[in-house]
Amino acid sequence: MPIFDQGYQHWKGQLSGHAWRWLAITRHGVRIGMQGRVFRAVLLVSLLPAMALATALCIWGLVERRSDLVSTIVQFLVSAQILSPGIVDDPRHYRLEIWTLCYNFFLSCELTLSMILILLVGPNLISQDLRFNALPLYLSRPLRRIDYLAGKLGVIAAFLGLAIIVPCLLSYGLGLLFSLDFSIVKDTYRLLLASVAYGVVIILSAGMLILALSSLTRNSRWVALFFLGIWIVSNIASGLLELADREQRRIAFNREMTAATPQKTPAPKTREERRRRMEVMNAAQAERLEKLEAQQTEASKSDWRPLVSYTGNLSRVGRQLLRTDACWEKLSEVQPLALRKRFLATWTGPQYPWYWSAGVLSGLFVLSAVILSFSVRSLDRLR
Amino acid sequence: MLFQFEGVTKTYGPVVALDNLSVTAPAGAIGLLGPNGSGKTTLIRSLLGLTRVDRGSGHVLGMDFRRRQLDIRRAVGFVPEDECLFPHVVGVEFVTYAGELVGMSTKDAMQRSHEVLDYVGLGEARYRKVESYSSGMKQRLKLASAIVHDPQLLIMDEPTNGMDPRGREDLLELARDLTHNKGMSLLFSSHLLPDVETVCDEVIVLGRGKLLTEGNIQELKQLHNRSFEVRLKADTGSFAERLKALGCGAELRDESLVVQIPEGRTQQLLWEVAAQERAQIRNLRPQRSTLEEVFLKAVEQA
Repeated sequence: MPIFDQGYQHWKGQLSGHAWRWLAITRHGVRIGMQGRVFRAVLLVSLLPAMALATALCIWGLVERRSDLVSTIVQFLVSAQILSPGIVDDPRHYRLEIWTLCYNFFLSCELTLSMILILLVGPNLISQDLRFNALPLYLSRPLRRIDYLAGKLGVIAAFLGLAIIVPCLLSYGLGLLFSLDFSIVKDTYRLLLASVAYGVVIILSAGMLILALSSLTRNSRWVALFFLGIWIVSNIASGLLELADREQRRIAFNREMTAATPQKTPAPKTREERRRRMEVMNAAQAERLEKLEAQQTEASKSDWRPLVSYTGNLSRVGRQLLRTDACWEKLSEVQPLALRKRFLATWTGPQYPWYWSAGVLSGLFVLSAVILSFSVRSLDRLR
Repeated sequence: MLFQFEGVTKTYGPVVALDNLSVTAPAGAIGLLGPNGSGKTTLIRSLLGLTRVDRGSGHVLGMDFRRRQLDIRRAVGFVPEDECLFPHVVGVEFVTYAGELVGMSTKDAMQRSHEVLDYVGLGEARYRKVESYSSGMKQRLKLASAIVHDPQLLIMDEPTNGMDPRGREDLLELARDLTHNKGMSLLFSSHLLPDVETVCDEVIVLGRGKLLTEGNIQELKQLHNRSFEVRLKADTGSFAERLKALGCGAELRDESLVVQIPEGRTQQLLWEVAAQERAQIRNLRPQRSTLEEVFLKAVEQA
């Protein structure tokens, strides 16, 4: 028996309105998520690309100002053929392109790290509520199903926002400060909006997907395995399909070329003839390669195989939003004429229409929403 | 008035869960009784605005239950029947989270959760993971999370199911204290009639979605003028036979004999027969219906 038992006391505080009720679920989810040691470590690692982005933008700001602080770095980059002298000569002319490529590199890294973050925090979000039958506790309070789902999506948004959107904004600010040139806002504000939009696309798409998977079973491990399957296996499958297609096309091309080549030619007798023959053969080989590459490029414009990869689709939409390919095209101007095509083929990604990927992602989003509406049932339909 | 339903009908396909139900419940502690499938759970869900009724209207705590579901749920605390938990939290976080979901600020919810955990007797276990709680503790935890925002109405759905006698007694005592000493209204749904009798003053009996009976428990358990419970220190059999021969009804129930005296006779008859049989009457009292009898009678009449 306690010495002083005050018993039940009435509470006279104020309750908040309904609009932000989902935020309580998000806050709780973030608190629970941050309890994981591995998760915290990955979250910390996910900030490294952000630091790299911020550093790159700051350095570029100094390059534009032709600061002595970075002259050694610039010399190193030029000597290592990472930066073309043409770009260093007029850095402001290539400002948008460099910034875009920095953001593109950052977002590519973050895409992978985001998948790991989602893999660690996402599977528990709904499956554990199903396992511990927590839905009646939520839905018997002043919450609608949409509040519950928004709160759970908010958990994903909070972590991915911290890893993607916040660094984009902070790095932009730092880049601006180091360049000391406010015309940079006019040049690059679209890039900032695009990177934030891409972050939102990743959050909505991957967030809804993991929530839908999480609502299908009470066992989080199955959810994690399924998500891994969608992420890794779809990537591998897409890569294999593309490789097989390219190989097939190459073999068919070689067969065609072999058939078109005259079978018997008299053997060269003199050294000069042999040299000429070699030159002709090399030229023919280069022409064939060029033809093959052109064929491959043409085929890639209507190739559906990259659509099999989930992250491939996200990347394609991201590249379109950031206009990365246009940047590579502009940067190819400083390359020697003969190398331009090769340069572009190396650095630009798949050329199929971006809206195909947007369609796949939209389809997955709708499917996830349908799964969630069936799995997270109102108490009316609960047992 | 706690709630009022007018002609409420709810069907699930061919099954009629609530059949043109009209009921008015006054503030206080109300027991909700009914056999399985009588519509108790549907009534509770309708009160909370969790299910859309087909027809009818009504008010809960003065609010239209068809339009102001979220406001009603803010003013109500619900203890569900099933075992349900917010996973991976300790007791105090559980109750705080429940408060936040209703709209309390984190600071208020945390402070209040400590108070209500002390009140329900989980003060010592507040920093333990809720998954490690026993059934009784989980039930008390659910009660704490339901009252954290100090609701006007507390709804408890089969709260003592699967609890040990001590835990059950404690929970009933808490429910009784909340309603009788703290002014909180209670809707107590249970199959266990003694539990309802312990906690509630009023009762609503449902059957096949219809109202079978309602009213004050003490009034429903009316006294029977010519029916007495008699306990003897002698052979009850021959005493009963003698009474039957005199036109009385006599039925052995547990250790007592329930005697119906015919019209025009008084309890003096019992003393006379006892004297003739040389039996000693140890206990004699007018019979009162039990809640079980009230319940069974209502169900039979339906």
